[in-house]
Amino acid sequence: MTTTHDPAHGTVDHGDHTHGGTGGADPHAPIENTAGEPDYFDVLQQAIRELLVEKGLISADEVRAMVETLDAHRPALGSALVARAWTDPAFKERLLADGTAAIEEFGIDNYDGTKLIVLEQTPEVHNLVVCTLCSCYPRPVLGLPPDWYKSRPYRARAVREPRALLKEFGTEVPDGVTIRVHDSNANMRYLVLPMRPAGTEDMSEPELAALVTRDTMIGVTTPRLP
Amino acid sequence: MATKRDMVVRPAHDLGGLPAGPVVPSDHEMTPFEKSCHALLNVLAEHKLVNTEEKRRGVEDLGAQIIGELTYYERWAVSASRVLIEKGVITSEELGARMNEIRARLTEAAA
Repeated sequence: MTTTHDPAHGTVDHGDHTHGGTGGADPHAPIENTAGEPDYFDVLQQAIRELLVEKGLISADEVRAMVETLDAHRPALGSALVARAWTDPAFKERLLADGTAAIEEFGIDNYDGTKLIVLEQTPEVHNLVVCTLCSCYPRPVLGLPPDWYKSRPYRARAVREPRALLKEFGTEVPDGVTIRVHDSNANMRYLVLPMRPAGTEDMSEPELAALVTRDTMIGVTTPRLP
Repeated sequence: MATKRDMVVRPAHDLGGLPAGPVVPSDHEMTPFEKSCHALLNVLAEHKLVNTEEKRRGVEDLGAQIIGELTYYERWAVSASRVLIEKGVITSEELGARMNEIRARLTEAAA
């Protein structure tokens, strides 16, 4: 299918069109195409915002502030959290007992109000997090989920063949280790606490945090020494 | 091809356990539209205008074909509009009128 740059003037579309007709899944598609026709969905979200602001139900400032919140929440928060848990046993205990309270104690704004459950990787159990129905994710600690987390193959296979799936991420889980898959929902989110690698005894907290990638906190990989 | 039974028993979002191909390790930086849309939906959830479950149900109600065609945040925007109309927070008339206004504004600004 070729992409047309036809501005399609003269037809006032009432929203039944899809862009380019190729299945639409391109997240890089421009918002306002050069032909000057504003993007239907961008207009739609603007219209919703304006109407609700006019009705006094939300404020434009709240939406702007939320954009900043989204920008501020990155996987680095989770990495710092894990490094703290690795170096402070009492904090780790609190984190495992009540994730939501512990991240707030650590200074992370639990802005979406969800309950956080922290899952500890052990030599016996490897935890893996998925949202089979959609894209629930511990956003306050990890930011927004990567595209593959929301993809059909990940959601479909994580609960059926996690061992094979993990192998595709380069993670070999020995047969003697139990794999526990946690299916997230709207109100309950999971964060994996990876195992601290051997040979890191002399590392500082920031050095440790650098080992903790986003994927280790989803459970698809494990921390490696550089 | 899904059978008629599958379509009923397994709505489009219910993927857990189905066979599927390899995971492609993909990601992208959010576009301004995606960011605005995400922020808006978070604010709607905070005010209990459209919560996460309602949003997801709104997406599911779009049906398999639309879910397949629209991008993630396009689905969110449409879902929010439908849920807000359903709940009587806005009407489809005022939404349509406002969209026309915005379109006219943007087209004029671009000209």
